[in-house]
Amino acid sequence: MTPPRPYTPRVPRKFIGAYRPRIDAIEKASGKVQFVDDITLKSRFPGMLYAKVLRSPYAHARIKSLDASKAEQLPGVKAVLTCKDPEVSSLKPTSAGWTDGVDTVSYDRMMWRHFRDRRVLGDHACWATDEVGAVVAAETEQIAEEALRLIKVEWEVLPFVLDPIEAMKPGAPVIHPEIAPRNILPKDPVGGADIFVDKGNAEKGFAEADAVVEAKSVHHNATQSSLDNWCCLVDWKSDKLTVLSNSYEADQSRMHISQMLGLPLNKVRVISSYVGGQFGRGDTGDQPFFLFTALLSKKSGRPVKFRHSRRESFHDSRQPAIYTGKVGAKKDGTITSMYFKGIGNSGAYADHTMFAMKFAPTEITEVALAHIPNVRMETYGVYTNKLPACMMRGVGNSQFNLIFGHVVDMLAEKLGMDPIDLALKNFGHEWGGLPDKSLTVVLGEGAKRIGWKEKRHKPGKGPVFDRTKKRGVGFSFHPAWHAEWQEARRGEIRIRLTVNPDCSVVLDAPTVETGTGSNTCNVLGCAEALAFLGISAEDIVWPHTVDTETSLKDCVQTDSAVSYLQSEVVARAALEVKKLILEKATGLLKAKPEDLDILDGRVFRKAAPGKSMAVKDVFMKGDMLPVVVEMGREPNAERTGVPYIANFAEVEVDTATGRVQVLKLVVLNDCGTVMYASGAEAQQIGGQVTGVGEALTEEIIYDEITGVPLNFNWLDYKIPTMADMPEIDPALLEVWRGAGEYGACGIGEGTVTCTPRAVLNAIYNAIGVRIDEIPVKPEKVLKALGKA
Amino acid sequence: MAKKNVKRPREVKKPPVRIMVNGAWHEFERGRDLEPETTLSFLLREKLGYTGLKVSCDEGACGACTVLLDGRAVLSCMKLAVQADGHEILTIEGLPEDDPVIRAFADQCEPGYGTALQCGFCTPGFVMTAKGLLNENPKPTLAEIKEGLSGNICRCGCYAGIARAVQHASEDTVPEGEKK
Repeated sequence: MTPPRPYTPRVPRKFIGAYRPRIDAIEKASGKVQFVDDITLKSRFPGMLYAKVLRSPYAHARIKSLDASKAEQLPGVKAVLTCKDPEVSSLKPTSAGWTDGVDTVSYDRMMWRHFRDRRVLGDHACWATDEVGAVVAAETEQIAEEALRLIKVEWEVLPFVLDPIEAMKPGAPVIHPEIAPRNILPKDPVGGADIFVDKGNAEKGFAEADAVVEAKSVHHNATQSSLDNWCCLVDWKSDKLTVLSNSYEADQSRMHISQMLGLPLNKVRVISSYVGGQFGRGDTGDQPFFLFTALLSKKSGRPVKFRHSRRESFHDSRQPAIYTGKVGAKKDGTITSMYFKGIGNSGAYADHTMFAMKFAPTEITEVALAHIPNVRMETYGVYTNKLPACMMRGVGNSQFNLIFGHVVDMLAEKLGMDPIDLALKNFGHEWGGLPDKSLTVVLGEGAKRIGWKEKRHKPGKGPVFDRTKKRGVGFSFHPAWHAEWQEARRGEIRIRLTVNPDCSVVLDAPTVETGTGSNTCNVLGCAEALAFLGISAEDIVWPHTVDTETSLKDCVQTDSAVSYLQSEVVARAALEVKKLILEKATGLLKAKPEDLDILDGRVFRKAAPGKSMAVKDVFMKGDMLPVVVEMGREPNAERTGVPYIANFAEVEVDTATGRVQVLKLVVLNDCGTVMYASGAEAQQIGGQVTGVGEALTEEIIYDEITGVPLNFNWLDYKIPTMADMPEIDPALLEVWRGAGEYGACGIGEGTVTCTPRAVLNAIYNAIGVRIDEIPVKPEKVLKALGKA
Repeated sequence: MAKKNVKRPREVKKPPVRIMVNGAWHEFERGRDLEPETTLSFLLREKLGYTGLKVSCDEGACGACTVLLDGRAVLSCMKLAVQADGHEILTIEGLPEDDPVIRAFADQCEPGYGTALQCGFCTPGFVMTAKGLLNENPKPTLAEIKEGLSGNICRCGCYAGIARAVQHASEDTVPEGEKK
């Protein structure tokens, strides 16, 4: 095992970039942190009811008739709602576009408004376990489940389709005929045309190439698997509705509920505090269960709790993607043309399919393919009767990386080049030259740490271990996507700093705490900005509850960008704090503010620094009022390009059993500025559980005969445990620099992005046979080796 | 799951179920406070308010509900409450805040391993599993830690930090038998 190599900051700072515990470490380690399921116990909400929703046993079906009378008569049942009830059937059709990925939008401005394919509690079940038809509220969950069994439903079972290629064929079962008569999502003003990138002339580019390779890659719908299952409690009393939930977007949830239920915004109060993992799940604060739980509360006059079981929490997933890719280059490795075609299985509802399939690749074209003269990309989202696909840690990036890293590796082999040299020769952002400085350092460091030169051999030609085992190394790289300019569409980020008379600080930087570590980043940023007060991070309180009635608007916990976006505002607000304290001090120190300064908690006259007064005394001897600065700032739109990320993997493949074992992963992130080193490393290391899981073990399996998913549980859906994970070497780098005080870039999501492709390239290096589809389970390896 | 129509044979009224939780005995009357099918996790969370343990999978796959039963780590979602009759249960609330395992989880920031927790949802389960492991094996090797904690899932993926924390805790832990 290699000894850890702590990073060296480019600019040494007092707090930013520290290796230290999280601000909530002791509360979490001692189990004192309360998640929504912990807060909403019946002992705390005595009249509370439990809701359960009817789920479709069929992959595709329509409710012909429904009789809930027996359920209504069951003792303990307090409210039943069905799709026939006017308060349900009058709800507007909706979609998961209740956000533009990063911020609050209204019904009229929501994304994918052309794909409003979801009815809240409708009569059309589009996938097995779809929430349809009826919902009940009862004194216990058991009674609610019993009531569901008493509802008599007459189903019209419809033909179904699971495979997107089959779904596109004429005669295939059509899922949402009014939106997509052939299951193929129509082009959308947000996502753009089917051919959404068409730079230069791709065909001409291929004709000019000396070498062309073509490949395919298939990414599946892994699921986020947050341990904290969806949960909410809604209390709708007289004209006011209060929601406690583990939604990670309080403001967006409020807008959604307000507009769907026709309530003024100030009559909807959404409270979110700690959330046990997010990872993109239910990415939009739009979950239909908020609405039917609310209606049950209104009908029963009682607070109603709705929570998913673990099996029900298999509810969101990564957008699956079948990509074909083609790349051509001159003999010297200069790429002349690239072409990618994607087919995305949307599942039952369109959700953010086109975000994954178009937005992410478009961004990549700008920031990584800027120097390739000819690029063409086209994509199709296709409805099927599978689990709807959504966002998961990196929208469409993991999926695109799987083909991108594939064709780079193949082309390098065909040209007889090292893929590192091929990458440096071609990829960079549009505002920078080649080779890209960030990519050069990222790949160089990765090569060094994995032992690239020593371990990389001709495909399948390495030494054999234990008679049947072969080893290989591979890597994949990707442009990051969370530089400040890419967050411009969030609009203003607002925070409030309160410095009390004793110099203790309250940092109101609302965001739902989902574990990312942004809370610690921002407290460190605040300590850094207020260092002149002579305070430490422990003197700062960060309120962890977002309450739409009392908090500033929350900064949505997406794009791994909250970590620095709020700190950038805090840095500016701190200057204002200083100014206000100096104004307070003028009378006491008999000097103009401009002649005064503050250092280490003391105010002094610049002309006579020897004589000073503690800042606390300035407050205590003065008006005793706290200094409060509220400030908003739009993200800096300066086009700084982006840094790069990469993963290097070493694997061992047992050619007798087909088992792949990852021996080592090197995870590299050029962060711009490391805001909080321990948190950043935790993201780098932590992301590998998802990355390795997606690459090797995690997979939702359907019964092809019935269309019913078979493994909505963690016994059969295999998430890597501690015993399954390899040694991970996290490398934090600071090469690129963004705009602003820190010039940082989000890293969390992207730590997952390159893992599957790095592992696949390493497998190829080990055995000399390419496998196009993840997860790489042993049977796929044996099949590729001609042994099965 | 409630089975209302199942007839139970008439029997002599059984004495209440007695369980010691975090040092205090609790009595539960059968049929009123608990049913035969009541799980230990339900009893601890919903009846007694010990919410440190989490019910995430409710089928023994994730370890988030781990508590100690007579010093051994058990999955409280897979134990019936009646099985704990006469036994001692320790939940994370029963540990002092300066418990070496809690401290080690909170303090882990050694470069190269990340933190031992992020969202914190699985953490109480890991802490209690680690307590159980250290009770049985006060000085585990890294391989033994990995094996011992492989029944727990951390989706934030803090396994490296957790393993490091358990190693550090084991350096500070006084084996059970040597306690006063």
